[in-house]
Amino acid sequence: MFELKPTINALMRSKLGAVLLILQLAITLAIVSNAVSIIQDRMTYLNKETGYPEDDIFKFNSLNFDKQLDLLQQVELDEQSLRGITGVIDAVAISSVPLSGSGSSGAMQLKPEPQESKRSTMGYVTGDEHILNTLGLSVSEGRDFNEADVVVIDESDARPSVVIVSRALSDELFGAGNGLGETIYWGADPLSIIGIVETMANQWPKSSFGEKAAIIPMIRVGNFQKYLVRTAPGARAQVMRQIEELMLSSHRDRVVSDITGLDQKKARYDAKDVLMMRMLMTLIVVLVVVTALGIFGLSTFNISKRTKQIGTRRALGARKSAIVRYFVVENALICTVGLMLGSAAAVLLGQKLMQWYSVPALGYSFIVVTASLLLVMSLLSVLMPALRAANISPSIATRSV
Amino acid sequence: MFVHYIDLAWRSLRQTPMVTFLMILAIAIGIGVTMTTLSVCHMMSTDPIPHKSDRLFAVQMQTMDDGETWRTDDDIPYQLTYPDAINLAALPGDFARAAMIRSGFSVHLNTARSKPFIENARLTGRDFFSMFDLTFIHGGAWTEAQSRDAAPVVVIDEEMAQQLFGKTDVVGESLFLGERRQEIVGVTQKWRPTIKFYDLNNGSFGKAERLFVPFSHVKAYDVDTWGNTNGWKFEETRDFNDKMNSEMLWIQFWVQLDTPQQRQAFGDMLMAYMQQQQNQGRFNRDTLEYSLQDVNAWMNYNDVISEDNKILVGLSFMFLAVCVANILGLLLAKFMRRAADVGVRRALGASKRQVFYQHLVEVGLLGLLGGSLGVLFAQLGLLGVRQTYNYYESLANMDWVMLLSAPAIAISACILAGLYPAWLVCRTTPATHLKVQ
Repeated sequence: MFELKPTINALMRSKLGAVLLILQLAITLAIVSNAVSIIQDRMTYLNKETGYPEDDIFKFNSLNFDKQLDLLQQVELDEQSLRGITGVIDAVAISSVPLSGSGSSGAMQLKPEPQESKRSTMGYVTGDEHILNTLGLSVSEGRDFNEADVVVIDESDARPSVVIVSRALSDELFGAGNGLGETIYWGADPLSIIGIVETMANQWPKSSFGEKAAIIPMIRVGNFQKYLVRTAPGARAQVMRQIEELMLSSHRDRVVSDITGLDQKKARYDAKDVLMMRMLMTLIVVLVVVTALGIFGLSTFNISKRTKQIGTRRALGARKSAIVRYFVVENALICTVGLMLGSAAAVLLGQKLMQWYSVPALGYSFIVVTASLLLVMSLLSVLMPALRAANISPSIATRSV
Repeated sequence: MFVHYIDLAWRSLRQTPMVTFLMILAIAIGIGVTMTTLSVCHMMSTDPIPHKSDRLFAVQMQTMDDGETWRTDDDIPYQLTYPDAINLAALPGDFARAAMIRSGFSVHLNTARSKPFIENARLTGRDFFSMFDLTFIHGGAWTEAQSRDAAPVVVIDEEMAQQLFGKTDVVGESLFLGERRQEIVGVTQKWRPTIKFYDLNNGSFGKAERLFVPFSHVKAYDVDTWGNTNGWKFEETRDFNDKMNSEMLWIQFWVQLDTPQQRQAFGDMLMAYMQQQQNQGRFNRDTLEYSLQDVNAWMNYNDVISEDNKILVGLSFMFLAVCVANILGLLLAKFMRRAADVGVRRALGASKRQVFYQHLVEVGLLGLLGGSLGVLFAQLGLLGVRQTYNYYESLANMDWVMLLSAPAIAISACILAGLYPAWLVCRTTPATHLKVQ
């Protein structure tokens, strides 16, 4: 009923147009399904919970240049005046900023250095007992730091003895659900795990160890100090505006810089991925448009080439629907071949990409979904020329040329 | 004849405006997408210092014990230890060399009106300026003696001089780095290589420093790096002095070696140095290794062109292929419909070659039009790139090479697409079409 045989026969007589369409569809399917897979991978990462209320937290730096200054005292003074601002929930002098792409990383292990033992790479931050509250985190097991836990690193030999870790880090070292109360080693120093935070990304959320994080109750002051402040929802912008003046009023010989929201820090860290996603999306859209244009253009030409035959068929009694059906079936045939070839090409391209670059494996569902959408698009783009063809008057058959 | 063909082509294009529009649009979109990704890639891979890129070398030494691995392909760390950097800087021989780190200071003039600001600084040797082609407009680099004594001197660029003093001739004036007064001995011309090729550790596309300080200040004033410090074994470092004496890797080192002989001599010297150190208990390994990579090799080694860029360039060329297939189909349809005209022309004496040539001129014209429109699309694309990722600000641009390549690629693509249809058309035998008429 679909007049398959004559359609195929007609196709075989002018192969090249069909071959080109098949190629276009195949490459389109290969590119789009792989691009969608990459986009999906980045989306999953970008939407992942970091654990922090990013919109309520901001950071800034203070670079002191007064050699006489008692740095430790100044840091405590700064923290107090920050915590005194209305709208501020808590503030802390911190060693580096989570989600920012810079800071300290190292390994936590089961035995002290230099012994060999199971180890896990992680990112860590240090600060006083306000650090967890400022980060907007809470322990799901164990307890928060108290004042007695905090160690000041100066001339004395004191070392921190406790640590709070992310669930991912304790799971890695001690197996799922364990870890609380255990001891891990940071270099040669033993740290007892007093608390576990369910979700807490470190400074490099994109890295392979992005969820493994530790917080160490330790203060080491320097000329260059980073501060983190958490405000009540909605109060951040106005608190940020006061910071520079407030800091300079307590001590003039310093530069306050990089007053930036945690969400902005994350956005900066992720900018490359957003760029890649946007470019791939643009590529997909224009590719689909170009392929649709190709199908549309080729069908239009095919139809104008066959105007006379169509007229003859109509004169011999073919219904309009039969004419439309002919072109749709022809297109569907070409499309099927193109999409089959394209599926193979997509798998191949996916394998090559995975082999050369750090791209996730291409899920076959991406190919199936893309192929179905391309089929629909292809049928839609052939419909208009086909409907026009159906309107060719039978009388055209009686004219010469 | 060529002009006549262009005229014919123009008429032919105008005869079928719809198809012509579709074809031009297809090639323009294809070129737009390809050029956007290619331009970024091109700017990233452009030789930043072409006339001497093969004479400047980043120095790497394998300082790790046997069995340790690093994240580079060849396991050799990117940077040097402080003692090694100092020792290499003191090697005999008449070649330019520069140990360096990135750091930063709060800069001010110590007056009530001048508000301190944070400025990145490069602590380096005096050869840095000649090695990397910085031009002095006033004064010059600090002297060897000033460098040795860690004299309080700085070199700044004209932009910073303007910012601080409102003029560029500021040699002899002083500025404050934190609480330390330093004398300005030289002012350089603004220098902003698009790729920060001499320091790929701290972001390949960061801005070059505007403030230069002798490397000897590292020790004299405990100036720590604002870049990466890498360690490969556990070392207790309680203060900066510990760090300077440790095996931690945080110093970059470049040399300029003009001849193969110099290169050989420097390599030998490095090897001898490593052996000597080994005798003193360092470099605990069977085979001693060093590496000298020139500017382009160094950029390649540091993956300046990111994976994402390579994937995008590959995908966009595949996309261009789709556009070419698209145009090929449309051209085929269009040319074949004109077979009758061609039959008449052939009958009137046009040679196959002329018919073929005429059609290629037509597709060439298509390519030119599509390519020009494509350059516009690419500009839009690059605008989008700059807006999304401001680190690419200076990279997401088309230079002359790219501006000229765009129509060249467009025309080649169109001609490639047009070859078969044109060949098909010129094969038409005059007789068949005359009969139909």
